[in-house]
Amino acid sequence: MKKFPNAAAAVALAACASAASAETTMGIVVKIGGIPWFNAMEEGIKERAAELGVSAEMIGPTSADPALQVRAIEDLIAKGVDVIGVVPNDEAALEPVLKKAMDAGIKVVAHEGPGLNNVDWNFELASADGFGEAHAELLCEKTDEPGKYAVYVGSLTVPLHNAWADAGIKWIAENCADKLQPVGDRYGVAESVDDSRSTALDLIAANPDLRGFLAFGSQGPIGAGRAIEERRLAGKVHVMGPFSPGQGQKLLKNDVISGGFMWNPAEAGRVFVTMGNMLVNGDEITSGTEIEGLGVVEPDAATRNIITDNLLEINKSTVDELAAKGL
Amino acid sequence: MSLRDRIPAALGAETLPLLGFLGVVFLAFSLATPLFLTGANLRSMAFQMPVLGLLTLAMLVPILSGGLNLAIIYQANISGLALAWVLIQFGGPDASIGAFVLGTALAVLAGAASGAAMGAVVAYVGAHPILVSLAMMIFLRGLGEFLTRGGDISGFPEFMNVLGHGSLIGVPVPMVVFILAAILWHIMLKRSRHGFSVYMVGSNIQASEYSGIPTRRTLVLIYAISGVICAVAGLVMAARFNSVRVGHGEALLLVTVLACFLGGIDPFGGFGRVLPVAIALMILQALSSGLNLIGANQHLSTAVWGLFLIAVMALRWVGMRWRDRQRKGT
Repeated sequence: MKKFPNAAAAVALAACASAASAETTMGIVVKIGGIPWFNAMEEGIKERAAELGVSAEMIGPTSADPALQVRAIEDLIAKGVDVIGVVPNDEAALEPVLKKAMDAGIKVVAHEGPGLNNVDWNFELASADGFGEAHAELLCEKTDEPGKYAVYVGSLTVPLHNAWADAGIKWIAENCADKLQPVGDRYGVAESVDDSRSTALDLIAANPDLRGFLAFGSQGPIGAGRAIEERRLAGKVHVMGPFSPGQGQKLLKNDVISGGFMWNPAEAGRVFVTMGNMLVNGDEITSGTEIEGLGVVEPDAATRNIITDNLLEINKSTVDELAAKGL
Repeated sequence: MSLRDRIPAALGAETLPLLGFLGVVFLAFSLATPLFLTGANLRSMAFQMPVLGLLTLAMLVPILSGGLNLAIIYQANISGLALAWVLIQFGGPDASIGAFVLGTALAVLAGAASGAAMGAVVAYVGAHPILVSLAMMIFLRGLGEFLTRGGDISGFPEFMNVLGHGSLIGVPVPMVVFILAAILWHIMLKRSRHGFSVYMVGSNIQASEYSGIPTRRTLVLIYAISGVICAVAGLVMAARFNSVRVGHGEALLLVTVLACFLGGIDPFGGFGRVLPVAIALMILQALSSGLNLIGANQHLSTAVWGLFLIAVMALRWVGMRWRDRQRKGT
């Protein structure tokens, strides 16, 4: 019995070695598969992988459950890929399995996971404060009459969404408190159109002086927008938030969604592959390194974060172009 | 009795066809990718299966008794939270083995208590188990979200890592836990008085009652034991993720039901064994890992699971027809 694991390990090593010598392989595990945001990311990954001549695949679990991400990452380790990319649902739950990956010599790149420890680098296309403040500023600007506003996040456990919400709420409290007051706590519904819609309907019914939504999370603005459309409140209640332009194009043109900022998920997908390739080739990432898609970066070596501000404004003039790109 | 009759009689009629199916799945994937039959992949599969396996054992006995336990995921997570709470009280990463033992005891207690409460309502109030366990699931989820504010508790002592990621002479520790639990479950169902009562209650609860089987006590015990194994699953999950959150593993609930039905447990209760269910779990894991290795879409693998269940049901029907005809022929 004791001999078996050694033999198995030797076979595994041989399998890894043969895979490594052939071609760089990457696996990128995202929060959930089959939604437009991550479909766009997958396109970016495929495109960039073809340009660099590496092999990269995206794995999107069937539900946003960290347990499924752990399973997918374990399969990737078994497969012996060179790079694992991850967009975490829950940072803490992934630490042990990412440590396992790093111990196996696999490079780990994360996106939207600034608190992760077991990564080579985590990159962001938007800084948390800048992103939250940009939306808060836009909401304040659009609001005419004093009233209340509600805050959505993807889930109460997504640290990044909560950091945006914190920055946005803080900015409004400091600069716009005379016009806008928060209603209740934040709502963790914004990864689901239906939950966002029904929560928005409830909030509108309960608060006649509701003026706007700060909706962080890919489906939040769409869901809240639909609720506003149903209640014919377009122009009176404003929805701000990052959303997929193709999905929200019509709502934006009908003034149901007032606007928002985003980063390009396809670009994030491209950066995953670019950075993975750099790490495999042994390129150092230091202050002043230029990474395609991120620009010149200032990495934080202590927290392993690379934070940049590559915001894209979504408004009536940019939405068509963004939607045409397949977002 | 010929050998062809004796093997199915000893292992259960479901076992051999399922083993055959498992063989076909393994063969297909090892032909599709050289990465499938490697030590690394088999180990990875052995690390992934136990959480689902333990939860399936928790689902198995209630189904055998003609019920269902929809609360298993949240029972597991509440038990995990109980453990996490004790560990945090004793210093988080610096907590001693003693604190872990205390936490484990509290976790098992939490699982057993929530299970026994469900069992009592099913037995004495006579409510349908689906309703009762659904209510318990909603209650536990709400309670957990309230206590943790939806966040996770992390930072456990280093030795817990062994439970989640360690190996014992080459076999992953979670797998050892699952195998022990499965053997225990088999003995409980086939050799103990309680196991006999479970089958009787599942077959016909009224007849059992009139025959002097303590049906109410049996029902309470069924759900309490289901809660205990949930607690064990919760401990393994906490160790594997080094964190506890109410939502961990939500996606596994219906997969446990799927595994039970694949393993030939009668949906109406009364019939079924542990071994075929364990093989069904291996098949599901092999399908999931294999499809991941060849880079198939995750949604496709769910679809394949569904197709697979339909195929097994169809084959079972064909098998039954064939056996009937044989019997009529002789």
